[in-house]
Amino acid sequence: MTNIWLGLFSGIAFGFVIQRIGATDAHRMARSHLMLDADIPRFMVLAVALSAVGLFGLQSVGVGRILPLPTSIVATGLAAVIFGIGWGLTGYCPGTTWAAAGEGRLDAVFALLGGLAGAALFAYLHETLIPILYDPTNAGRITLTDLFGNQAVAVAVLAAGFSLCAWGIGKLWRHDNNEKNI
Amino acid sequence: MEYRNKQRIPYWNWVPAAFALSGIILFIFATYGPPASSSGFVSLLKGFFEWAAPDYVAAKAHYRFIPGPGSWIFAFVLGMAMGGFIAGRTSRDIPVRDMPPIWVKRFGAGRAKRYAATFLGGFLILFGSRLAGGCTLGLFISGSTQLAISGIYFGVVIFAVAMLTARLIFGKAAEKEDIQ
Repeated sequence: MTNIWLGLFSGIAFGFVIQRIGATDAHRMARSHLMLDADIPRFMVLAVALSAVGLFGLQSVGVGRILPLPTSIVATGLAAVIFGIGWGLTGYCPGTTWAAAGEGRLDAVFALLGGLAGAALFAYLHETLIPILYDPTNAGRITLTDLFGNQAVAVAVLAAGFSLCAWGIGKLWRHDNNEKNI
Repeated sequence: MEYRNKQRIPYWNWVPAAFALSGIILFIFATYGPPASSSGFVSLLKGFFEWAAPDYVAAKAHYRFIPGPGSWIFAFVLGMAMGGFIAGRTSRDIPVRDMPPIWVKRFGAGRAKRYAATFLGGFLILFGSRLAGGCTLGLFISGSTQLAISGIYFGVVIFAVAMLTARLIFGKAAEKEDIQ
């Protein structure tokens, strides 16, 4: 029961913040993808950089539970391509559909229904697709720590890399935000 | 002039917003584990099929490892909808619309077309997420936070493909003035 309250509370806070940055607005998301508005992508990568440092701190005092997902070269890559087409077309990702639907955007309700259909179809095909697409190139739960041999170094590299991305996005994306474009 | 325009932007500044989001992410890691949202769809489906076709759920691997709706996973996505609702009701300036201006410019104001497209897009993002094992949050954000190669790899590809797709679909429409 505690878990349900924690989940609900975390979801409310998360949904609130992503609405305030504009990630639930498909128009703003499309402008992010067209490199016309830098705020959402740099917000995302900076949040990852900060979270990685924070999680390292939590782990060093023995708090929290982690479970990195495996990397399958074919399945993770192919899934990302399919995902990217859907994200570029509609401007919604799975999390934002819930927040945008709650906000009252009817197109997000249809994205949510489409999402249920997509998840149901994948669940139906799981036994067929996983052995073909996922398992043969599954490299396991590999992390940057395996690559660098030291977790503190890996965290520093990731945080620096993602912060650099946030800075680079700010440089490369155009800044023509004004009232008319919002 | 730019300064004056900037003051009218109703969204939060991205830096404090990123601090706020990472605070929430760390709270989730500390109190539950890696945050995820595409699993919430599977959780809801599991609840439905457990009622409609219990033998089917018991036989399918994809439903075995994800709990039904009485779980953190589903409470989180339900909470996101509530958070979106509260945020939408308490902001006077952020527009709530389901016909993005850039979409209208490209495809017209017909709602049926927009809803059909978001249904298709929703289908693709969830099909992809379930194949990879997570979405923007569950794989890219939470994976990269845990230094997982899968999260970084997925993140790079989704951004590249989404940017290319948006360019192919909306690139011409965005070139016309007053949408940029």
